[in-house]
Amino acid sequence: MPIIHTIGLTKRFEDVVAVDKLNLSIDEGEIFGLLGPNGAGKTTTVLMLSTVIKPTQGTAKVGNHDVRTNPDAVRKLIGICFQEPKLMWVSTPWDVLNWHAKVCGLSTSERKHRVKSMLTEVNMWEHRRKRIHGLSGGMKKRVEVAKILIQRPKIAFIDEPTSQIDVVGKHKIWDMIRELRDDGSTIILATNELYEADVLSNRVGIMHKGRMLVCDTPKKLKDSILGGDIVEVQLEKAADNHVLDELKGLEEVVEIVKIRPDDLRVHLNKVEKVVPKIVNLFLNAKLSISSIRMSEPSLDDVFVHYTGLTIEEAEKKSKTK
Amino acid sequence: MRPMRKILLVVERDLRRFIQYKFLVILRTIWFGAQVAFFGLIASRMVVPELADIYFEFYIAGVVIMMLYSSSVFIGYDIFEEAEHGVFEYLLSLPVSRRELVLGRSIGGGIRSFILVGPIIAITLAIIGWANLPNLLLAFTALFLFAFGVSGMSITIAVTLKSGDHFDIFMGVLSAFIVRLSTTMYPQAFVQDASQAYAILSQFNPVTYASDLFRWGTGIERYLTMSPMPLAALIGIVIFFFLFTLVGVTFYEKRLEGGGWQ
Repeated sequence: MPIIHTIGLTKRFEDVVAVDKLNLSIDEGEIFGLLGPNGAGKTTTVLMLSTVIKPTQGTAKVGNHDVRTNPDAVRKLIGICFQEPKLMWVSTPWDVLNWHAKVCGLSTSERKHRVKSMLTEVNMWEHRRKRIHGLSGGMKKRVEVAKILIQRPKIAFIDEPTSQIDVVGKHKIWDMIRELRDDGSTIILATNELYEADVLSNRVGIMHKGRMLVCDTPKKLKDSILGGDIVEVQLEKAADNHVLDELKGLEEVVEIVKIRPDDLRVHLNKVEKVVPKIVNLFLNAKLSISSIRMSEPSLDDVFVHYTGLTIEEAEKKSKTK
Repeated sequence: MRPMRKILLVVERDLRRFIQYKFLVILRTIWFGAQVAFFGLIASRMVVPELADIYFEFYIAGVVIMMLYSSSVFIGYDIFEEAEHGVFEYLLSLPVSRRELVLGRSIGGGIRSFILVGPIIAITLAIIGWANLPNLLLAFTALFLFAFGVSGMSITIAVTLKSGDHFDIFMGVLSAFIVRLSTTMYPQAFVQDASQAYAILSQFNPVTYASDLFRWGTGIERYLTMSPMPLAALIGIVIFFFLFTLVGVTFYEKRLEGGGWQ
């Protein structure tokens, strides 16, 4: 039985449909990546599922409790790490985490232990008595992430956990999210970072303009793209149209993207079969190959496949609206 | 966790935050000092000389109630500040029911008003004295209920208006009516002299009840045109408290639940 189940979940803000008839099913114990550009409806979905805002239409059950009719029961199961740290400027990291742990029902000894260990884990122990307004964006974000790691809720909504965090910090937080899952939490990870969704999620749902476009494991999503394999070929000189037409004529080749005249990205099927053919084709045309590289498609490619836009283009479009 | 424990945690949070606003506490104390030292002393000279001291005592007691009112209203501004920082969404996502949250905030708002006004009440009592301990304790109880009620009213208005600017203007206008049309600054007899309508309105005003009860507790009820035991004022305060702390909670619970705030 899914731990989160929505049918036709919709949220309208006046004329804007932020989330449009969302059907979603999330199993207990999985990390579910909710992927999409800013403005796709990820945060609105999280806020509806966590009972902070009311759906306009549709139903949502969290831990088998309806978010409309039994919100108190839902809130006992959930915790949120917000996209923007929700901290008052006069508070200190210690105050914020200590109170959060108290209100989430941790015993005194457990609270003290978890707050101290988590402040240490996120490198905030030294800064625990500083006012929030004196902390950098990354530090505030680490405090926000620490809240949910201390709480260890049954269902954790984590909204862009590593925005404003440096590369080393990102890997540390990813490990902590995996530990949280291993400790028994179900995690809904809302993110616009494709790599983050790819490395962390058991399943990914791609949202765009409030709609869920597709939802599956990262591997299956990548495999679902026709021409899902990619060969990147760098040539000594530019390939002429005749060679490109010949390349396009290979039955396994789906698409050729010219990054530069001498740098080609070939989307194709059955990579192991076609690479020797490609090499021969260029050698026969007296074109020397500087390098050739095979790669899997990324979730970036999946996003482009389903929306016709890169995630950056989609964000730009949503901002200009 | 028991509901009472959750309410107390919400109260604790508000109290901790308030203590961090040291600057506000200092400014409020300076404001009180200025009201007493400038306005109180000068305005007392406007009444007939033999009543100057009496009016001064009357006025100081009134200023205490004004401070208690404005400090209790402050919780509504906190809500907007929290909304601005997104903290309100955080509070709404916690394993605390809306009822516990709002009740805790009303009580927290009331208690912190007393923390702020407490030293000023002590100074006032040192200046004007008090009648007897039971009267004073009863008056204090009534003032607690008044402070909780005003905090509840402030939260109710804040979640109803949903706009910081609207709230600011509305509370300014409300304060102009509720404080000016009360016996905070002038005895009931003068309000009556000015207008019968004013007198009626001031008699159904929680600020009047609080002012009268405080003066009764301090033993300066002889300046008031009220009965020796201000039962009406006491009942008025209790009704006000129940209206905004309990009935109000149900109202804004409905508004908040599931995101009515947005």
